[in-house]
Amino acid sequence: MDDCISSDEDYYDSDRDSLHGLENEDSEIQWVPKGPATKVITKESLLAAQKEDMRRVMDLLSLREYHARTLLIHYRWDVEKLFAVLVEKGKSHLFATAGVTMIENRSNSSSEPSSMVMCDICMEEVHGNDATRVDCGHCFCNSCWTEHFIVKINEGQSRRIRCMAHKCNAICDEAVVRNLVSKRHPDLANKFDRFLLESYIEDNKRVKWCPSTPHCGNAIRVEDDEFCEVECSCGLQFCFSCLSEAHSPCSCLMWELWIKKCRDESETVNWITVHTKPCPKCHKPVEKNGGCNLVSCICGQAFCWLCGGATGREHTWSSISGHSCGRYKEESEQKAERAKRDLYRYMHYHNRYKAHTDSFKLESKLKESIQEKISISEERESMLRDFSWVNNGLSRLFRSRRVLSYSYPFAFYMFGDELFKDEMTEAEREIKQHLFEDQQQQLEANVEKLSKFLEEPFDQYTKDKVMEIRMQVINLSVITDTLCKKMYDCIENDLLGSLELGIHNIAPYKSKGIEKALELSACWNSKANTSDKYPPSDCGTSGGLSECERLTCLNSEENGCSSRKRARAEVVTGNFFDLNLPAEVVDRN
Amino acid sequence: MQASRARLFKEYKEVQREKVADPDIQLVCDDSNIFKWTALIKGPSETPFEGGVFQLAFSVPEQYPLQPPQVRFLTKIFHPNVHFKTGEICLDILKNAWSPAWTLQSVCRAIIALMAHPEPDSPLNCDSGNLLRSGDVRGYQSMAKMYTRLAAMPKKG
Repeated sequence: MDDCISSDEDYYDSDRDSLHGLENEDSEIQWVPKGPATKVITKESLLAAQKEDMRRVMDLLSLREYHARTLLIHYRWDVEKLFAVLVEKGKSHLFATAGVTMIENRSNSSSEPSSMVMCDICMEEVHGNDATRVDCGHCFCNSCWTEHFIVKINEGQSRRIRCMAHKCNAICDEAVVRNLVSKRHPDLANKFDRFLLESYIEDNKRVKWCPSTPHCGNAIRVEDDEFCEVECSCGLQFCFSCLSEAHSPCSCLMWELWIKKCRDESETVNWITVHTKPCPKCHKPVEKNGGCNLVSCICGQAFCWLCGGATGREHTWSSISGHSCGRYKEESEQKAERAKRDLYRYMHYHNRYKAHTDSFKLESKLKESIQEKISISEERESMLRDFSWVNNGLSRLFRSRRVLSYSYPFAFYMFGDELFKDEMTEAEREIKQHLFEDQQQQLEANVEKLSKFLEEPFDQYTKDKVMEIRMQVINLSVITDTLCKKMYDCIENDLLGSLELGIHNIAPYKSKGIEKALELSACWNSKANTSDKYPPSDCGTSGGLSECERLTCLNSEENGCSSRKRARAEVVTGNFFDLNLPAEVVDRN
Repeated sequence: MQASRARLFKEYKEVQREKVADPDIQLVCDDSNIFKWTALIKGPSETPFEGGVFQLAFSVPEQYPLQPPQVRFLTKIFHPNVHFKTGEICLDILKNAWSPAWTLQSVCRAIIALMAHPEPDSPLNCDSGNLLRSGDVRGYQSMAKMYTRLAAMPKKG
């Protein structure tokens, strides 16, 4: 049994060292003072989360809240970028592109209410009281405005309802929209408010909805690195970047290709691939509903339907400069010959990937039997009071097994032709593949050993035998942790880091498992905010409903769903071993 | 529904008044259905469409004028932004750049402007677009002129 651990044996032989090795303390030191950078945004804290950003913009530019919101929606809640545009191009450019128009001539509008106004939409003369002039100066009758707003809200355009005048870029004041729409359709006005509120999630690259089904109602916000894996408070673990299951060390692209390859493609997926193209800006699938090959996404981005590349907006009356995608790229000739070899190669990697995910599922059953063994042992042996090493070893096993199984699809793409054919020469590839496979094999061997020791019936063993197993488990835990870290280093620096054409990012290795996002506190307190606890004064036209109250209305709407989900989340988080279970295992529990 | 009817009725009256003012456009409403219109437009001068009369079919949605009307050419036309078979038109104001302030009359004017200034980079008729994109203005013009003569001019004799 000694030869199992080989050279690492003398490394951790004293008891003190092994205690140190239970959990990697180094990572803990980095971890604690910073705290998780990821935050859970619940329905309750959604308003508070965006207030902070809006306040920064309002303070700097002395703006009203709805103007700040319009700016932030246009700049996708990227405050830094917004400020950069302000510094570079000036205030007027900033406002003009976002559709913010400041009132300059309010004076002549005040004379209106008494007179009659001609509405250019319905072509009727209406009394000044029945017409509304918006910030850009255009005036139309209230009934036409209301119709316009209703159409736009139903089209999903709530966040950028423009003025009805031709070529007028101004975004309509949200208070006007709310006020007019709520008179005819209070439900739709609520929907409008929710759309505005949820813009912080939908239009923000740092915030994403938790992909749980049924949806837990939460969103996750990351601070700086969007390539990370998080655990929502509902218990779901996922890759923040692509929202599928946590898949490092595969990059998102690799994982996407892999699951596509593995899955029997459903009809829906088929339909989406055939009929839609992802928008180059917001990546939502876009369906072409007619017209030429210049397609405009709901987010406002124009792109070429043929190649999917982003293009300029002025496409109808002027030309799209430098855009030609009709060139034919020559396909490799021996496609058919290669297909067979490719299939064998795929089977090789897939079988190993499958084998490890299967062991993962089997091992997750192990935790119950282990708990039993622990309680038996605890009663039997009063000398050995501490069995935390078993639990620690088991969670280490889960984490490493996970890394191991995802390392196969990684290798499939890293050393295959599909992604990196032109990145390295055959010789380079061979060297790199050997380097990686050596590490992978080492990890594999140690993970299997760890698994074997944890399965031993230690509750029936003598004290000395138990101590020996304990030693082995602790040693192997440390070794697999180190090997995982090494493998990630190798991938990041030697393999992906040296790429020149494609950019592949992976979530960094976390020794303690996937980071749990902290709940963002719902009550956001700041000196600036104490005076007007109930949000904006310019929402005076909102029919007496403050934003907070409206928010609670929205919550009660969906309470049935969220309580059901919360219950499930408790079951999951109440368990010690949930750390690195894949979603499907958690679901079965 | 009511609003769109009222507005179309206004436009109808406006058209009656403006008929003399704009001799290039003749807008006619279907006798039994105010949501169906047809228009006859004259090909703009100094273009291959000069001398031709083109028929357009309007289908107005119930949410008009908040949503744009659907317009297509009934007369065959060789133009980069018009589908050769269906007559579908690719014009921004008929899609996302629509503003309720447009009228059927102004849409006709925009289409006449499009005939004079084709946009070969977003073609619905690729053959026509490619001729222009490759710089073969003469080829484009003679093709367009031929189809104008074949489809948009009264037959001789």
